[in-house]
Amino acid sequence: MSVALTLMIMLVFMTAGMLIASVLDTFFYRWLAGRAGGSLLTPLYAAAAEVSRQRISTEAPDRMNWFLSISGFLTLGAIGLAVVPLGPESAVIGLETSVVLWGACESLVVVLVFLHGWSPNSPLALIGAYRYVAIGLPIMLLSMFVLIAAALPAESLDLRAIVTSQEDLWNVIRQPLGLPLFILLGLSLTLRGPLDYADSADLAGGTSIEDSGANRAGWQVARMSMLVGFSAVAASAFLGGYLGPVLPGVVWLAFKTLTIMIVIIALSHLLARMPVARMLGLIWKVLLPIAFLDLLLAGLVALA
Amino acid sequence: MSWLAKMAGLAEVPVFVAFGEGAPADAASVLAKTPGLRVVETPRAAAVLLVVGTIPEALIPQLHRLHDQLPHPRASALWHSRNELPGATRIEEIAKISVLLRAIHRDLLVGSLKTEPDFLPDAPPNEWRGIGPHGQGGKGMMGGTPFGRPMAMTAADLRDGLELDAYTADFGPFLPMLPPGLVLTLTLQGDMIQNVAVAHPPFETQEQRGWVLLNLLGLPALAERMLRATNIGNATLKRLIRLSGARAAIPEGLGRTHDGSDVRTRFDLLTGTSEPIFTLHVQQTGLDDLLIGLEWHEAMLVLNSFDNASLRAICANTSVPEPDAMAGGMDHGVHAGHMS
Repeated sequence: MSVALTLMIMLVFMTAGMLIASVLDTFFYRWLAGRAGGSLLTPLYAAAAEVSRQRISTEAPDRMNWFLSISGFLTLGAIGLAVVPLGPESAVIGLETSVVLWGACESLVVVLVFLHGWSPNSPLALIGAYRYVAIGLPIMLLSMFVLIAAALPAESLDLRAIVTSQEDLWNVIRQPLGLPLFILLGLSLTLRGPLDYADSADLAGGTSIEDSGANRAGWQVARMSMLVGFSAVAASAFLGGYLGPVLPGVVWLAFKTLTIMIVIIALSHLLARMPVARMLGLIWKVLLPIAFLDLLLAGLVALA
Repeated sequence: MSWLAKMAGLAEVPVFVAFGEGAPADAASVLAKTPGLRVVETPRAAAVLLVVGTIPEALIPQLHRLHDQLPHPRASALWHSRNELPGATRIEEIAKISVLLRAIHRDLLVGSLKTEPDFLPDAPPNEWRGIGPHGQGGKGMMGGTPFGRPMAMTAADLRDGLELDAYTADFGPFLPMLPPGLVLTLTLQGDMIQNVAVAHPPFETQEQRGWVLLNLLGLPALAERMLRATNIGNATLKRLIRLSGARAAIPEGLGRTHDGSDVRTRFDLLTGTSEPIFTLHVQQTGLDDLLIGLEWHEAMLVLNSFDNASLRAICANTSVPEPDAMAGGMDHGVHAGHMS
């Protein structure tokens, strides 16, 4: 597949993914809230209304970092999708260390969400920013363990090799602890539900409390782009990515990405969020040891 | 009309609600059931400011400041309110609220209705009182009260004595996670509450805050389901709340009062997941007993776990802190605080 064609498929994949994710999110929310009806295009109408409103600036904001946080978050989601192979040898960013690049993106999300809370010069936004960093750092460790475990059967940090290594058996079966732990990371990276410590209701929107107009729309789009990028990476690392019979590889990848997105959206509406100190205890005392166990088991299997 | 305005006109109307005195106890429920409206958590996301009930004279400056925080094009509306707001639409029949606000939203987007101008000048509310060229006014680059707004200054952390930045400000009376009318002067270190004073007690209301607790626990869809439910004992809702792990998410013993109840037990009552097994006694409890040392999320859960009468009694029991205890020296007369 040529680079231009791969790039075009990736852009279509990302755009369609964001639209579908927005519709699913709205649909699931309304269904759970017991609200009947509503158009599938509700998110599009909301986005149009958002960009029709003024973009307000606060007193003495950090304008450059405000813009950088939104555009950067959007870009990181796109990079996530770009490292994912859409078919054999056809990733937009075909690196032998693509897992490391994705790990860097995860870490940069923490930086950019912090900047998003820092930039408006507003206390509740800043609390959201600091709180996200407190949770984001241990969650990154969790991701590191499960991704290294996923890379062990392939003996490579290349996502293309990791997909190929799952021809006989998907990692979700080989390493059953990996995907659930990685999905928790997804909830944190996409600022959703039980791991949304940046933009939560107790802070009246947290880091996005001061966003209006195009900034607000941009931040929501960036969150959706991260949801698509993350889901595609998870589908490739644990569900065999593009592998599958009869249908083209990219269709299989789309199905699997959609499955991960549905799980994340459902969990984000169904699971409660605990106060930050309690969550930190859970991550350090329970989830990280489980992630280490996942890595240990993968290592032992690789040695056997 | 541009295609963008056409699309935007089909969107749900984002409404920020400012609750005042005498607001109907079921106002949040009525608004949740109204088609075509979406109640938002920050005025920055709203196109319409809806004042429900009457904002007392003392809080009118805060209402004006709130109004000016909405992005253009914007409009305001009054429901069950004796307030006067220039340009605001008065809603007489609740049955017409959806049609009325949707029409206002569409007219704003196409420009046939003029956006409401600011009530206040776009300038700092007070004179600059700092020392340095960048607004700093205390020691070095920290502290002081430039423009009447205190800047963070180092103070010992309650938990370990570590010198960190303490910041004092007023929060309320229209923040959606605080009971309506409540204005708290809080000294924060990061997200931990170091000190608290009540600047204005919550308005009297019969409203139950179970749905707010669900929202604070990251379950907005279940919160809306509770608002829309005809009875609190709805079996599906109870099952969904149990499955969400909401009860386990609340730390045991959080916000314990002298009667032995805590946020968990009060959450059970407010969400209808258990029968009343205790009578709330808050005679000797103040907000300082309950909130100091808690992080922000925990503090919000505690505040919303009480019924209105109990919370008003707790506010009345709250000690007035020594002036030196509030880092930064809050200037109530001139600074209205955040999201006011």
